[in-house]
Amino acid sequence: MIVAEKKPIEEIIEEIKDYKKILIAGCNECVTVCEAGGKKEVGVLASALRMYFINNGKKMEIDEVTLERQCDHEYLEEIRNQIGQYDAVVSLACGVGVQFMAEKYRRIPIYPGVNTSFMGVTEERGVWTERCQGCGQCILARTASICPISRCAKRLLNGPCGGSTNGKCEISKDLDCAWQLIIDRLKELNRLDDYEKLLPIKDWSTERAGGPRKVVREDVRL
Amino acid sequence: MQLNDKIRSGQFVVLGEFEPPKGIDFGGFLKNADLVKGRLDAVVVPEMANGVLKASSLGGCAFLQSHGTETVLQICHRDRNRLALQADILAASALGISNVMAVPGDDIRFGDHPQARAVNDLNLLDLLQLLKTLQEGKDMAGIELAGKPQFCTGSLLNTGASGGLLDMELDNLDQMIRLGVRFVITTPVFDIHRFQQFIKRINTLQVAVIPTILLLKSAGMARYIDRNMKHINIPPETIREIQKAPDKPKKCIQIAGELIRQLKALGMAGVMISTVGWEDKLPQVLSEAKL
Repeated sequence: MIVAEKKPIEEIIEEIKDYKKILIAGCNECVTVCEAGGKKEVGVLASALRMYFINNGKKMEIDEVTLERQCDHEYLEEIRNQIGQYDAVVSLACGVGVQFMAEKYRRIPIYPGVNTSFMGVTEERGVWTERCQGCGQCILARTASICPISRCAKRLLNGPCGGSTNGKCEISKDLDCAWQLIIDRLKELNRLDDYEKLLPIKDWSTERAGGPRKVVREDVRL
Repeated sequence: MQLNDKIRSGQFVVLGEFEPPKGIDFGGFLKNADLVKGRLDAVVVPEMANGVLKASSLGGCAFLQSHGTETVLQICHRDRNRLALQADILAASALGISNVMAVPGDDIRFGDHPQARAVNDLNLLDLLQLLKTLQEGKDMAGIELAGKPQFCTGSLLNTGASGGLLDMELDNLDQMIRLGVRFVITTPVFDIHRFQQFIKRINTLQVAVIPTILLLKSAGMARYIDRNMKHINIPPETIREIQKAPDKPKKCIQIAGELIRQLKALGMAGVMISTVGWEDKLPQVLSEAKL
């Protein structure tokens, strides 16, 4: 999933303070799972903002909605009839949702309510960690299903480096050394011979470095 | 007289562009520079133009400087992060390089290593700000340097921009000037009339505008550039002239020489002659331009 963190409320207030009527739009997908932008967070943010504006003597009407997804036309269409009545929208979806809503509703300012962080997992309640950087050429088959691009600080394709100590990375004692994890898992799978096979120098052209990306599937296009 | 002083005193400056080799044989590179020694004010050494691997601009500049040729170093944010940029800029100054040009670099996808990961930690204006900061004696982290580098700073200007893009280009130029840019080297100029229209919108007292003169090699090359390079226009008469000429290289040299004379007559700050592989013909271009 895409993991996001709530933006500080002061930052949101600064963006919307001059409006009179705003809509806070949550998303039922990733940001709900990582508890940053689902229905619950929409309610909490809306209440906090209402309180803030009442305390500051400012009339501000705040409505709430949570869409199934903000990265698909069909769900964004659900607010077409209401959106015109608002001065602005604060979207608690990831950056993808904010932009897609802005592309659809061109005359309404759409503000982000979260900081989109990475593609990752819920390791435990309240702890999310990165697992994928979308490099466009998955090498997990060769690395015991542990991604060194997203989990090694140096993105080493043939590790570990000299900074690996007792299974931890040199940049933080809280960070597992991805290559230690890879070696341990190769051992468990009885595939340690694979560790001797060097991965070739990476072609980064399919990663973001090669420019904004696009996938076109002729077989599923309408 | 050093390039900086010459620009400052308003004298016509003549720059030549020499690409370092792809390899370590710098013999031809030095030979070409020696052919025009004393006739150029400085040699501009590109930093992997078109994203094609060559020896670095810093290496090329240090090499030519050690053989008595003044150079203009290109600093490019495509391949280096802020640490590497600062390190190279400091080293360049210590090596006696006194002219730098900030450039964005062509996209890696169009070069010969499209699998590489571009860096672009800073953008062009950030890089100019960085040059300014270093010259004030501090690094980007605000830490004091042991000795301040001093540079005559330049950058690029797209004279082929039109409409909204032109406004953006001019806004950008204002910002560059505020960040200490003293000269800008333009995209190749072939159409003097068009160039005159462009230059009217620039206060040339604030910044030395140095048009690029690209030495054409054939009518085919001219046609290709005119059709495919968005910001460069080559008048059809120029292409016809090359087509009709019995000695095409000679005609191309004459065209370049004539353009230089016209630009000098217009009061431009100088020219930058790019011969892309025909560096040995640069002396003839200079003679044709009466330089």
